[in-house]
Amino acid sequence: MREKLEKEIVPGLIVAVSTFTLPARLAAAATRAAGRRGRIELFYAYDEPTSAYALLELARTVQGRSVAIGLVPVVERGIEGDSAAERKRAYALVDGRRLARRLGLTMGRGEPIDPESVRFLAAWTALGPQGPALQAFAEEAMKRLWFGGDGDGPVEREPYAALWRERLGSEPPDENSSGAQEALRANERHMARSGPYETPAAKIGGRWDFAQDRPKRIGAWLDELGWRAS
Amino acid sequence: MSERVDWFYSFRSPYSYLSGARGFDLADDYDIDLRFRGVIPMMMRGESVPISKRIHTLRDVKCEADRLGLPFGRTHDPLGEGATRTLAVSEYANDRGRAREFVLSASTGIWAEALDPATDRDMRVICERAGLDWEGCVAAMADPAIAARVEANTQELVDIGHWGVPVFTFRGEQFWGQDRIDDLKLVLDDAGLSRA
Repeated sequence: MREKLEKEIVPGLIVAVSTFTLPARLAAAATRAAGRRGRIELFYAYDEPTSAYALLELARTVQGRSVAIGLVPVVERGIEGDSAAERKRAYALVDGRRLARRLGLTMGRGEPIDPESVRFLAAWTALGPQGPALQAFAEEAMKRLWFGGDGDGPVEREPYAALWRERLGSEPPDENSSGAQEALRANERHMARSGPYETPAAKIGGRWDFAQDRPKRIGAWLDELGWRAS
Repeated sequence: MSERVDWFYSFRSPYSYLSGARGFDLADDYDIDLRFRGVIPMMMRGESVPISKRIHTLRDVKCEADRLGLPFGRTHDPLGEGATRTLAVSEYANDRGRAREFVLSASTGIWAEALDPATDRDMRVICERAGLDWEGCVAAMADPAIAARVEANTQELVDIGHWGVPVFTFRGEQFWGQDRIDDLKLVLDDAGLSRA
């Protein structure tokens, strides 16, 4: 009986429950009735080309919809003790190259980026004011990091600080402050509580998807929730 | 001579199931030598899969199956003996030119019909509707040489540095995931291998 429960009944129940979308649709309708916009959260990492693709693709998906992207950058993520973690990082470059092709872009890097070398970007974004200016910064930063012509050189802080000033009209926050580190940890905790165990992932209406793998489905889910493009 | 595409597949992976028909179609649409390589499930290779990943996978696969028009949801997880027996018969089916029939029959049985390949009753249904003789299948399930071939497939997946399934390899390049079949097709098109 226990085997039947584990191998048939529980998986079948999980699948059945996943098709029940009425609560999410009602919640989205209530949000609209209150005159508010929808919010899709993107859990992502700057050291990952698949996250770069996901952010740019998601920005296209929400265009014309009354939906804002909530940027949730993280540094620490992944399955604890994952023996394939390093291989996944290397493979993300191969996959990122293919995903870039879908956007008509070319990958500018052939080597992974050390997560610590772009921690400052994650910290800035975690502390920055959510909105179109921050999103524009994040998109441009991702393009420069992964689809620019800088090759595999080190990531210098100053060009990104200049971009921050240009887009947000202020000096970037102090990435070494305790507030910055706490903001990143808060994002990582939020991601763990929200369900995704790896990045990039997009969540709205209580459901999350790997954002590099399911861009069309995310659009279809937004349609189903009533967040259609005008 | 056709160029070779290897396809690493696990009967315990619902994503492999989603890749099934489209994977075999590659051999119809392109001038390639498609090699089906059944591998032992991750959890039987000492890898752990967190519960959050298992739950997400079921939900995600249901959405993808709906999109692809495939049945999904009446499952029977083949972890253990079911996976071992299915892998053995897939080798036997391959030898008889019936890999497509058997792989699709077994995967549909496992992920959409709650058939348990660890039992003779359900395994026989899976085998016979794939056009395989039951006596031959029973012999294959007990054949150490066939088990060794499955071990070799699994070791090769490890040797190429990959961890999950389904994976297609072409000219040393890996395509991981049923959602990367279209990207593989682009590369096969670029290589001038389309039959169209």
